[in-house]
Amino acid sequence: MITAERKNFDEIRRMTDGAQKLLVVGCNTCVAVCLTGGEKEAEILASQLRLARKQDGIGGSVETVTVLRQCENEYLDSISEQVQKADLVLSTACSIGPQGLVFRYPTKAVVPAMNTNMMGYVKEHHVWTEYCVACGFCIIAFTGGICPIARCAKTLLNGPCGGSQGGRCEISPDVPCAWQEIYDRLAALGQLDMLKRILGPKKWNASNSGGPRTMKMEGFKP
Amino acid sequence: MERELTGAITRSFGRPGPVDAMLRPPCEVACPIHTNAQRYIQLVAEGHDARALAVVRVTNPLPQVIGRICPHPCEEACRRGDVDEPIAICNIKRVASDGARAAGLGFEPPKIEFTTGKKVAIIGSGPSGLGAAHDLALMGVRATIFEKQPEPGGFLRTGILNYRLPKDILDEDIEYIRKMGVEIYTNADVGRAVKFNDIMAEFDAVLIAAGLSESRPLPIPGADLPQVLLAVPFLEAVNAGREVPGLGKEIIVIGGGNVAIDVARSARRVTGGKVTMVCLEADHEMPAHAWEIEDARAEGIEIVCSQGPNAIMGEGKVEGLQVKKCESVFDEHGRFSPTFCETELSVVPGDTVIVSIGQMSNLSFLPEEGPAVNERGILIFDREQCTTTRRGVFASGEVVTGPGAAVNALASGKKAAIAVARYLGVDVNFRPEPAAIGEVPADVADKVKKAPRRRMPARDAGERLKDFGEVETGLDEVDGRCEASRCLLCGSGARYSQLKCIACLTCVRVCPYGAPWADGEGLGGIDPDKCQACGICFTQCPAKAIDLTVMSEEDIAARTVAAIADSGNGELEFGCWYSQSRVAPEAAAVSLPCTGRLSVRLLLHAFESGAKKVYVAVCSEDDDGHFVHGHRQTRAAVADAQKALGEAGLDPASIELRIEPELKCRKAT
Repeated sequence: MITAERKNFDEIRRMTDGAQKLLVVGCNTCVAVCLTGGEKEAEILASQLRLARKQDGIGGSVETVTVLRQCENEYLDSISEQVQKADLVLSTACSIGPQGLVFRYPTKAVVPAMNTNMMGYVKEHHVWTEYCVACGFCIIAFTGGICPIARCAKTLLNGPCGGSQGGRCEISPDVPCAWQEIYDRLAALGQLDMLKRILGPKKWNASNSGGPRTMKMEGFKP
Repeated sequence: MERELTGAITRSFGRPGPVDAMLRPPCEVACPIHTNAQRYIQLVAEGHDARALAVVRVTNPLPQVIGRICPHPCEEACRRGDVDEPIAICNIKRVASDGARAAGLGFEPPKIEFTTGKKVAIIGSGPSGLGAAHDLALMGVRATIFEKQPEPGGFLRTGILNYRLPKDILDEDIEYIRKMGVEIYTNADVGRAVKFNDIMAEFDAVLIAAGLSESRPLPIPGADLPQVLLAVPFLEAVNAGREVPGLGKEIIVIGGGNVAIDVARSARRVTGGKVTMVCLEADHEMPAHAWEIEDARAEGIEIVCSQGPNAIMGEGKVEGLQVKKCESVFDEHGRFSPTFCETELSVVPGDTVIVSIGQMSNLSFLPEEGPAVNERGILIFDREQCTTTRRGVFASGEVVTGPGAAVNALASGKKAAIAVARYLGVDVNFRPEPAAIGEVPADVADKVKKAPRRRMPARDAGERLKDFGEVETGLDEVDGRCEASRCLLCGSGARYSQLKCIACLTCVRVCPYGAPWADGEGLGGIDPDKCQACGICFTQCPAKAIDLTVMSEEDIAARTVAAIADSGNGELEFGCWYSQSRVAPEAAAVSLPCTGRLSVRLLLHAFESGAKKVYVAVCSEDDDGHFVHGHRQTRAAVADAQKALGEAGLDPASIELRIEPELKCRKAT
């Protein structure tokens, strides 16, 4: 799941104070599941903005509306009326949301309320860990199902660095060493032989280093 | 339809159980007249007695009477019984009416307009007749009651003694119905004072609600002795304050039912002498309610069980009752079929026998052309339609249902009122029979805070025998509120919208009781059997797919706005309605079943609505408070809201969490 965190409130204020009719658009999928940008959070942010603007004598209105996914045209179309009335749209989605709004409403000013940070696994309630960086060519079949690209701080492909101490990464004792995890996992599977195989240079051409990626599916089109 | 969807609990599909059933608290389902007990209990807990009484009155035309004498099947069904002891629902009903009465509120009936132009005659002014008349009035049908006794009330007046049901209380409930425009003719003995066929000619329909006005005699040797009395005339005489001829000092009461108990307790008061009850049943089989038996024994009444009357001894006057051992009362099908050991005889000494083995109807007022009675002298009756064999003649109450509790007679009268109204072409609201939510699962019951049931205070047995004054004195205000606060608010908790749910699992993870569920396919729901209405899932749901049935977000927001408007200083206190005191008496208060349901959104909303200062009151630093994790959630919401206020340039200290151990939890004390 994509995770995103809300920006600093002052930054949001700076982006929005000039608007008379501000519309906060929530997104009820990834950012709702990670408890930062769904309908509830969009309403809390709007409430905060109203209180702050009133405090500072800024008039105008702050309304909210939430769609199921801001990354889909049809859902964005469904809030056309509210968007048209606003002079600024503040999106609480991952960065795809505001960009989708810009694509759909080319003349409307749109700003993000969130910093999109990663694709994460929910390790426990309120804790997400990055497991994938969308490199475009998955190698976890060779690494015991554990991604060294996302989970090793140095994205090493053939074993740990010298900073691996007691199974922890040198960047923080809170971060496990991905290569230690890979080793332990392969040992548990009886597949330590896999480590004798040298992984060649990583193919980065499928990652985002070559401009925006586009995925197209073949098959039926209406 | 009276029950709107907003009040319903919807069990989502994908789980066993009724699909989209409107599940109600079992107390309401078990009540013969389906009174919304939960609602009035909640209002009593909050201190709104008159509003509680109004809720009782929606279904119950005799609230004060039933609040005293009801055998309360609701309490048998109460889910609090799965946790510790059932709520004292009947006693709380009395708290509502006593409180409203003291405040001079709730005794003015609605103005009735008899727009239908239809007139119905009702024979009998017991609970069934009164209930029917009341409901017919609400439907715009004018009812006239014919009562053969000098005063209305039927068996409530003649059969139930003042010590259980004071006459002024009965008078008040009847007066309310009279004020609605119901005419009651007393000393109007149908068949004598007025002919049945004359009534038929005068009215559009007739309802026979004549009750069981005669005692069943006992055909054994000696039954014709002058000191052998029957229960009904005995109770009538005692109730009317008349002397009872033939009454000695050593009384034997034959029978083991509730009426027999009343006979015994009255005889004990009238004579001051020894009273012995003799019944066929073993102790645990006695048809009288356990608490009635307990009261009788407390008053010194001896109960001789498993003995059948064989003969009344004495020449010219009663000298005792010969009894034979009763070996069994019921056959293998549970039917009444007593067997005796004819050789095991003994004598219960006494100088008076009062027979209280059942009652029967007196239908001698019916004309030859019907309605018809069967070979056993019982009115022929259609249970569903409440009709008799004569068109336009209906029947209700014990005359057709047999003996039972007043509330059952009331229910029967109310059902007949609908049948009569339909017959008269009156538009009748249909109210479906409610279905109950299930038991509290054992693992959930373990987590619910235990709290003792408040006992009904009663006058000391020695003291109360001296007169016919009311025995039970009523729960006082604090005990009434405390007892009402024990209610689990069954089925009133989290409401879940399948449409809005994003299957994020937050509710599943945060609920302390394991009520929300989700399967791997994105289906989910909240099990009403497990939900305790703490509100934590509601505050946490990121997609606003959960709200609460009682005290919803909208309701709390509206109360917040109203409270701020009321407060002179813009100060507001959110507290738990189980506490008996406040942390900020100068602030306007909004009480919640749990402060755990205070969301950040609601706290900020208070400031948007004009609050200058918000106090949130909790009674301890514990995580739990009244509900598991209730305080933990409250603290988290307050901290988040303080941060949000600070970011918005307001003083974070405008929200203050006050931990006040002196706040007494009404449930736990």
